[in-house]
Amino acid sequence: MEGSRQQTNRLEGAVPTAPSFVAAAHELKSPLALVRQLALHLESGEVKGKELQEVAHRITLTSERALRLTTDITKSSRLEDSLFSLEPLNPIVLCQEVVDEMKPLYAAHGRTIVLTSRARSLLALANRDLLRRILLNFADNALHYSGEGPVTITASLRDGGSCIRLGVRDYGPALPSTMRKNVGQKSAHVHSRPESSGLGVYIARQFADAMHATIGTTSHRDGATFYVDIGTSSQLRLL
Amino acid sequence: MAVKHVLIIEDDQWFLALVKKTLEREKFAVATASNTIEGMAAINKRVPDVIVLDFFMPGPNALVLLHELQSYGDTAKVPIILCTNNASDIPSESIRSYGVASILDKTTMHPDDIAAAVRRVL
Repeated sequence: MEGSRQQTNRLEGAVPTAPSFVAAAHELKSPLALVRQLALHLESGEVKGKELQEVAHRITLTSERALRLTTDITKSSRLEDSLFSLEPLNPIVLCQEVVDEMKPLYAAHGRTIVLTSRARSLLALANRDLLRRILLNFADNALHYSGEGPVTITASLRDGGSCIRLGVRDYGPALPSTMRKNVGQKSAHVHSRPESSGLGVYIARQFADAMHATIGTTSHRDGATFYVDIGTSSQLRLL
Repeated sequence: MAVKHVLIIEDDQWFLALVKKTLEREKFAVATASNTIEGMAAINKRVPDVIVLDFFMPGPNALVLLHELQSYGDTAKVPIILCTNNASDIPSESIRSYGVASILDKTTMHPDDIAAAVRRVL
């Protein structure tokens, strides 16, 4: 695929140990510190006109990012007490919703996110909310931890049509081999990327486990794909 | 007085833009890089008078760059201002041997602190 050197790690097996509150605090620090700096910039009174609107927009988008994370953390902590219904859904439509939701944030960073799909007539069996949150999580990480290239969400059939892989492909520094190993481990320090606490991957895996899906990563020479594998709906065969 | 050159190495483009604006307002000449690899390229092009450096970035982190800078005579003496969300986790005494002259905490600093820190280490 794309002439890349690839190394794939599926994230399966035992339930991982929960990351510490420190990891959650670390992940939240970054957007909160930025919101504070942008707000102080506004307070200075030096910002006028179009720039004022731009700074305010950045505060909004960064706050929304922090809120997405807090919602994910809350939901992740309650997974064991909840039942999540699985429903047949069109993953392409869901991926497009994720692209549309992330577009303003990407555009504000001068970046693009697009959906490409080679598969047609897909029907997955998944929980819509959890799957959406996994993809938003991957897309958010791709924006903040990859290079300047576009980010692509892909959907493809695998394993003879019994599985659908939804991947978020970025172009940036490749994951070091030690980190690839860490992604596959069920430890408290599951690192998605070297500079990340790994909380995002931990939460994504919790969500995937709750709907019998698996997540993993493929390292390319020029970036990485974070993916979720979900089962196809039996209704697919009736189409 | 000659214009002093500051290199900002920061992966958050919005924070970088704020710091750049603040320093340019204070009449510093500013170059920017969004990761340590770009930062090394910028340093090879022109050794700055001061480097403002984030700690965690995509690719190699700040420690890799600090090691590299210490390896060359012309860069070992460049004062570094570490500007990070994780200032409280960084052992300030041990990191000073890597040329770090000042550490700023992004979570508590005021935007103007960056200019004051640059003036202090020059």
